[in-house]
Amino acid sequence: MCGIFGYSGGTKAPGIILEGLKRLEYRGYDSFGIASLGDTIHIKKQQGRIPENGFDIGGLSGSIAIGHTRWATHGVPDDRNAHPHLDCSGKIAIVHNGIIENYTVLKRELIGKGHRFRSDTDSEVIAHLLEEVYDGDLFASLMMVIPLLEGSYAILAIAQGDPRIIAVRYRSPLVLGIGDRAMFAASDMAPILEHTRRVIVLEDGDVASLTPDSIEILHDDKKVTRSEEVIEWSVEDVRKGGFRHFMLKEIYEQPAVFSDAIRSLRKEEIPLLVSEAGQVTIVACGTSYHAAMVFRYLLEEHCHIPARVELASEFRYYPPPLSGLVIGISQSGETADTIMALQMAALHGSPTLAIVNVIGSSLSRIADATLFMRAGPEISVAATKSFIAELAVFLHLIDVMKSGSLGPCLDHAHQAMEEALLLELGNAVTCCMAGKDIFFVGRGPYYPLALEGALKMKEISYIHAEGYAAGEIKHGPFALLSPETPVVAICVPGDTYAVMTSNIREMKARGTPLIILGERGDRDLEEIADVFIPLPDADSLAGLLSATVVLQLLAYHTADTLGRDIDRPRNLAKSVTVE
Amino acid sequence: MQAVILAAGEGKRLRPLTKNRPKALIPVANSPIIDYSIQALVANGIRDIIVVVGYRKEHVIRHLNRFDVPIEVVEQKNQLGTGDALKCAEPLVKGDFLVIPGDNYIDGPSIAKIKDEKNAVLVQDHPYPSNFGVVMIKRGEVTQIIEKPEHAQSFTVSTGIFSLPEGFFTAIKGNDLTDAVNEMIARGGHMKAVSTSEWQDAVYPWDLLALNKKTVGRISPVKSGTIDKTAIIKGAVRIGRGAYIGPFTIVNGPVIIGENAVIGPHCNIGPSVSIGDRAKIESFTLIEDSLLMDDSSIGSHSRVVEAVIGEGSVLMDHTTVAPDTPFMEIEGSVIRGRFGCIIGDQVRAEPLSIFQGAIIGNNAHIKGGNKLTGLDAAHDEVLVV
Repeated sequence: MCGIFGYSGGTKAPGIILEGLKRLEYRGYDSFGIASLGDTIHIKKQQGRIPENGFDIGGLSGSIAIGHTRWATHGVPDDRNAHPHLDCSGKIAIVHNGIIENYTVLKRELIGKGHRFRSDTDSEVIAHLLEEVYDGDLFASLMMVIPLLEGSYAILAIAQGDPRIIAVRYRSPLVLGIGDRAMFAASDMAPILEHTRRVIVLEDGDVASLTPDSIEILHDDKKVTRSEEVIEWSVEDVRKGGFRHFMLKEIYEQPAVFSDAIRSLRKEEIPLLVSEAGQVTIVACGTSYHAAMVFRYLLEEHCHIPARVELASEFRYYPPPLSGLVIGISQSGETADTIMALQMAALHGSPTLAIVNVIGSSLSRIADATLFMRAGPEISVAATKSFIAELAVFLHLIDVMKSGSLGPCLDHAHQAMEEALLLELGNAVTCCMAGKDIFFVGRGPYYPLALEGALKMKEISYIHAEGYAAGEIKHGPFALLSPETPVVAICVPGDTYAVMTSNIREMKARGTPLIILGERGDRDLEEIADVFIPLPDADSLAGLLSATVVLQLLAYHTADTLGRDIDRPRNLAKSVTVE
Repeated sequence: MQAVILAAGEGKRLRPLTKNRPKALIPVANSPIIDYSIQALVANGIRDIIVVVGYRKEHVIRHLNRFDVPIEVVEQKNQLGTGDALKCAEPLVKGDFLVIPGDNYIDGPSIAKIKDEKNAVLVQDHPYPSNFGVVMIKRGEVTQIIEKPEHAQSFTVSTGIFSLPEGFFTAIKGNDLTDAVNEMIARGGHMKAVSTSEWQDAVYPWDLLALNKKTVGRISPVKSGTIDKTAIIKGAVRIGRGAYIGPFTIVNGPVIIGENAVIGPHCNIGPSVSIGDRAKIESFTLIEDSLLMDDSSIGSHSRVVEAVIGEGSVLMDHTTVAPDTPFMEIEGSVIRGRFGCIIGDQVRAEPLSIFQGAIIGNNAHIKGGNKLTGLDAAHDEVLVV
């Protein structure tokens, strides 16, 4: 997914585009760029997010501009590959969202004709194709180019000598906005709504030309009118797509995130340095640290490879003696502590692997190899789908090292998450809301899930919550248990089931309200629990994923019922780029 | 023009299939029923769409996010009825508008017939009118709509698709939309009856077989995925990306096969079959006139005819599904329908199971060698030994 935005109107076009691109960041944020049209075309683009403290748009001017914010799925997001793209002469600029499927053929032909390409993108061919036919009428030129393109595209184009923006839509979204002596074109309404509420949704095959006063739309070479709509929703509504919070939207995306991640990882070569690693150290912070702890349990149990997990912030000042592979995980790839920890590992001569969600982020640039978790842009401060995507990467690695024996389980794991989304949690939420402190307990790989469940709970509901390995409760925290401290216990079939149930009974004796996640139909647990939550696929690795979903939803609904500002929890930022 | 799609109701008579999703999200020909309503509107240039959600609302919202037409969502807190549902959309309605149920099949030409009419209802003749609102018509004008009468005086039923004026909301007194329409007529408002082009509802779960047959019959053939060179593909067959059709498999269209589905070798699929994403059909299995949802799987040497199989359900080797016409009590009425089986989500049936006119609840576990009919195992999580 990428976002495009164009404006034709007053004099401050580049500034309006920059602001609009910020509204589109949820569609992608690994690089961005703007092209403005005055007497000549000027362009500015760079890798990374739009800086919060301002981006210098000096050099750009004019009343017409187009912009792009990118989410790379193939190829590196660097300055070169960022949109807009220019033709050889620098007189035509385009931004594109979608895929040109036949670009390799087109590119070869264009290179044969002497065109010089500056990027690795599919999109750049559009600029050069336009250059071939451009004679001062950009609209006519684009009409000639469109039949050559296969795939999906929403394109905005500008050219020196033609005072219009030409917009094309085919199987990628594009809407137009009608302002007061100003026209807009964008991937969705988010950047338009602060300027105007009058929009036109284009249809596949429409080509539109925009000037400050007019919009002209052609379809199959015939002029058409498209009905104008007055939109009353807010920018936030557009981005959340009907969900009340980004967090809930992202929780519901998780089954698809997981199966997409597994499918695309299977098409990739796993770097030898991973599959041949004799020992692994993982550095991470926060939610990623919990995912890494799950990995440690599974790697040691299933592959007999010793693993250690270190908090990046500790590791960089107190590095242990290192041998073997060092893995750094960060959703944004910009977590300062994790970057410095991985840099330090590299200095020690350790082979390094980055696992990130944002292609081309800092962490991936300093590592020897990178795996992408492909969770898509994550907006909610409380991480959910990136945790699931991290687990997908780790489970896939173990599957590869175990020559595919987890395959069938991974194929069905998304269903366990779907089932978890259907669970009724009302009673558990009531129980948590009444708590002063909440304790989350589990054993084995469910212990890090207990930590993650507690983290989610405290960061969005502001109820004090702690996670413990269930056996540790007796070594201190037991003193705090009372009827005011609900316990969320994960108790699944397996080696620790018996000892786990005895832990639970001890806690029950303190009068503690018990929320238990266990296998469906477990009569013993149903009897002990105040609230029993039947965990889908509790008997397989997929249970880790369904338990995650339950814990996330429990935190979400508790916070929501308490009226917390879920997408903007107090004092927290999405990625921690300082130490 | 605006359109309000009503997709808040569960559709209790379609249980177990509606336990995990509202009726509007049940897939036929691999697309949730609501997609057909949206497509029919978009085909008519109607893009200002409001969807009323309620039951399992997050699932509906997540699905709607796949459309790049912006769709506005409003929530009906309690599912009291269609009139109450429509009322939820009142603050967003700015003029004359269409109301469409999100859980019926409707085609574009039908919408074209009503969209330019003011005060109109789409009607169609139905062999069992008592399940619907029966429409009394005099000289093309509706005089009354009688909701689910015991003895219907006409075969003409309301599709629930109306073209209504902005002021209609004042006629909504109770929770029911039909009452409101009758109220409007009683106040002297007129309502024209317009015949549909194509419309179909699924009242009972076995009606999904007919709905599936209709929608699969309209697919445009596309061949993606990998098709073994010995496989035979006849008629209109749509095969999704990443799907695999194994050696000596015969696919007899119309058939739709989802993404990453795996079929064969030596299977015989079709006609009128929908197979969901990631579904798996093992060797020497025959499937005819059936709807298999995502992630379902059928073992080898099976014969599956007139079956609806829910998400993630696994029927192991040597399964037989054969049509029958059992009598059943559903939501208080005794009814008979013809079907092989209606199987909920995440059901697991061990080898040599036989289903003959059977409804099976979600998460049921059926040990091998059982024969099931009627409502024997219709509860969720039932264990049949």
